[in-house]
Amino acid sequence: MAKSVWKKCLATGLAAAVGATALTGCGTEREDGRVEIEVVSYKPEAVVAFEKIADRFNETHDDIYLKIESPNEAMTILKTRFIREDYPDIIGIGGDINYSNFLDADLFLDISDLDILDTVNPAYLAINKELEFLPKEGTYALPYAANAAGVLYNKEIFEENGWEIPTTWDEFIALCETMQDVGVLPMYFGYKDTWTCLAPWNALAVGICDADVCNQVNLGETTFAEAYAPVAEKIRTLLDYAEPNPYAYSYNDACTAFARGESAMYVIGSYAIPQIKSVNPDMQIGSFTFPANDTEEENVLNSGIDLQFCVMNNTEHPEEVYEVLRYLYDDETIRIYQEDQGGIACKNGDFTLSAELEDMRTYIENSRMADYQDHHYPSEMSVDAMIQTYLLDEGAQAKETFLNRFDTEWERYNRDLIRRVNEYQEKTGGAQ
Amino acid sequence: MKKKMNNRDKTFLAVIIPVLVLFFLFNTLPMLKGVMYSFTNYRGYGTYENVGLRNYIDLFSDARVGKSYLFTFKYALVGTVLVNVISLVMALALNSRIRFKSALRGIYFVPNILGGLVIGYIFSFFFTYILPTVGNVFGISWLQNSILASEKYAWIGVLIVGVWQAVAMNTIIYISGLQTVPEEVYEASMLDGTGKWREFWKITLPLVMPFVTINLVLSTKNLLMVFDQIMALTKGGPAQSTESISYLIYRNGMDGGQFGFQSANAVIFFLVIVAISIFQMTVLNKKEEQL
Amino acid sequence: MKKELTNIQKKYKGPKTNWMLTLVLILGTVTVFFPLYMAVIIAFKQPSEMTNDVAGALAFPSHWSLDNFRQAMEVTDFWHSLGNSLLITAATIILAILIHSIAGYVIGRSMAKKKGFRLIYLYIVSGMFVPFAILMMPLVKQTAQMGLGNKAGVVLLYLVFYMPMNVLLYAGYLKNIPEAMEEAANIDGASAWTTYWKVIFPMMSPMHATVAVLTALGTWNDVMTPLVIMSGTGQNTLPLAQLNFQTQFGTNYNLAFASYILALIPILIFYVICQKQILNGVANGAVKG
Repeated sequence: MAKSVWKKCLATGLAAAVGATALTGCGTEREDGRVEIEVVSYKPEAVVAFEKIADRFNETHDDIYLKIESPNEAMTILKTRFIREDYPDIIGIGGDINYSNFLDADLFLDISDLDILDTVNPAYLAINKELEFLPKEGTYALPYAANAAGVLYNKEIFEENGWEIPTTWDEFIALCETMQDVGVLPMYFGYKDTWTCLAPWNALAVGICDADVCNQVNLGETTFAEAYAPVAEKIRTLLDYAEPNPYAYSYNDACTAFARGESAMYVIGSYAIPQIKSVNPDMQIGSFTFPANDTEEENVLNSGIDLQFCVMNNTEHPEEVYEVLRYLYDDETIRIYQEDQGGIACKNGDFTLSAELEDMRTYIENSRMADYQDHHYPSEMSVDAMIQTYLLDEGAQAKETFLNRFDTEWERYNRDLIRRVNEYQEKTGGAQ
Repeated sequence: MKKKMNNRDKTFLAVIIPVLVLFFLFNTLPMLKGVMYSFTNYRGYGTYENVGLRNYIDLFSDARVGKSYLFTFKYALVGTVLVNVISLVMALALNSRIRFKSALRGIYFVPNILGGLVIGYIFSFFFTYILPTVGNVFGISWLQNSILASEKYAWIGVLIVGVWQAVAMNTIIYISGLQTVPEEVYEASMLDGTGKWREFWKITLPLVMPFVTINLVLSTKNLLMVFDQIMALTKGGPAQSTESISYLIYRNGMDGGQFGFQSANAVIFFLVIVAISIFQMTVLNKKEEQL
Repeated sequence: MKKELTNIQKKYKGPKTNWMLTLVLILGTVTVFFPLYMAVIIAFKQPSEMTNDVAGALAFPSHWSLDNFRQAMEVTDFWHSLGNSLLITAATIILAILIHSIAGYVIGRSMAKKKGFRLIYLYIVSGMFVPFAILMMPLVKQTAQMGLGNKAGVVLLYLVFYMPMNVLLYAGYLKNIPEAMEEAANIDGASAWTTYWKVIFPMMSPMHATVAVLTALGTWNDVMTPLVIMSGTGQNTLPLAQLNFQTQFGTNYNLAFASYILALIPILIFYVICQKQILNGVANGAVKG
């Protein structure tokens, strides 16, 4: 009798489990005995290039199988996977606050002993050092491609009208006025997607402010209300030269409008070029450094690491991972990537600069560049939405409200960090 | 006989224990864990430390969280009223002497079977491109800009979609409520010469009161948890004016590295939902008794 | 019973149809059809036909072609997502009917006499007020640790999420079934287990239909659970695919809408076929609940 009771117990209890496990797929074990190296890249737009790169690798290697994934909303997916403690071997991410956070959480392997590191343009290794919350020994990322953000312009429209590339803020505004006079819309924004608000913001801030302004604030040396005031003024001025109600249109809408010649310029990074060209493949696009200042000499190009590879601490196959990194850093592989995605190679060597970035060449060659300011903003602070809120606010006090909010929220979201930075300063202060 | 009962008890226990274990494991346990995380500064990965009540203190001073509560309540309150008024009217209409009754009932239920996300995408296009064009053609100035792009009115866009879907469900429930009212009651009242309006307030409404309770509780709860529509229509914008609590918890908890802080937010949200539901049920139960 | 009554009354009264109201209600269906009409029209068009006026979006396409649909199927891996959605919903319904009904039976029969079961009832039913938001983050961790970050995990979670409502429904419905039924079977020597499956389970079939409908509507359209539990596994449900392929759709609204229509079609077909059962099921849930 008792036996049968327990049978029933099992029947009910396991009904769910049995039904459920029947649904589980098989694991990812490879039958051919090759070691699988999983790379997750955060750039879905590069999916075709990476497929090509992975195929080429797998044709020539019979001990390692390279799997490169480029999912949509990759950052969310990556973080969800980290929450689930389900780590790939390598991740391809941008040099931004996420990198800082992951590094701070000790997720990455120190790759200082990787032989190809000496072929990396040292400028980019330096940028990565600045992204560390607290100085950390070692190298944790292999910079792959950099981008540049300024103003994209429609070469055809510029040539037809005989317009010159502006080099100062006044020239820029004057050009916008001229455009409006002849009935050309100067700029198109896709502010419905809040992150696009950061494109003009960064381009302006890089030119106007010091590169380490966030750190200065953390150390109490300045406030954002002071440092960002001119940036806030100028980003609002841009609205006068954009389509009405830019908050109704998304990034996609704006790319399409620019591709169709509805505006002469588009303030966005070079990363938008593949998207624009998908709408209008024959378009002649140029780009110039945002002229944020009164003189040309003060201008700085906004450039950051668009893609870099980091090795996860938990990888079971460090040697194979290094082999994959060496392959990815091969000149030939980089060229495949560049052909598809453009951008600037982070490796020293003879790489072509994509035609769209030609006007920025002097800035790049002379290293007149600074990293995106938002790479230091905590993502949960949603500075992009704050900028959107500010632009929508037409009250007289809008700027003050916004900048004060920036300072107070900054302190709140970064208080653990500020505390740690100051502690670190105290500890090492004597040594410095 | 006693042995038989024993067998029955054992069987019952054998059924209920695994069910309870399952429920505990995937409902109560994660809830307790959520409460635990709410006292930490956990990012979701890496190391974390205990921060005591700081998250809770922050919650009450966080403008963004405050804004999301305001939006969610405004949305749920207006939505509940609209949904229940509209669906009661719809139910009365669909329950009266009309032709094509079942076909019409069937059609009006369609919005409910369609997923909120896809419907959201469809309406997003409608709000962004169709309505402003209509505004332009007829010179209606407030329509000329997409309402989803307006900090003031975007919530109305979300509300329209939410109500459109919720009405369908509540209408069916009200119809089944109306069907429990025996015809004789109406016949009696007709003899008394009661007007239609009076008839509704004096006879119909008191009799369907239990269904009002169900509908109010159900629609409030569903509207408070709005997520899909936000994801498809506004992503919380413009200017963070349409961030619902669920959306904020997802966005910043999963994506923004605020696992701990948003856990605290979720705990408060849970308490709020329980409080509202209990409040509604007690108040409405009293109403039912009074009538 | 009720139905018969109203039918008899109808005959009694004669057809005094309110035509005005009928007309208003028919016109009102525009609010339901218009968004769907718009979606279908856009799904059939080519991007070049999308001009910036009302006609551009709402007029018939110049020719009806299924190209957008074919392309959308390829982009979103339609059949795979559809299969996942069907599998998850079907498994959830079947397991919910089996497990929730017996749980509802056991609790419903015992709670009048035993305080413990009364508490269990309240414990489970109070789960209805737990918002997914509070469970979400811990569940993501927990399911992954248990190897359930997949379709099976989603099914299991649905079983738990719908347990409060379904137990409430089953326990409520049980009041209509006199206990004499089991006693009779008991005297014949059948065990409680056999009695349940042979006698009671079939008698609860109206409630099975209700539970199936309510559970199915909820799970089929749910985005959040698969979004957080299955993200990164490369598996999609039908609604999740719409979310995940937004970037691929890019600026091509026609392709996107073709995909939306594809996502809506299965449940619409199901609804057209089982409309009566679905409406009855929903109504039943409210009356008995």
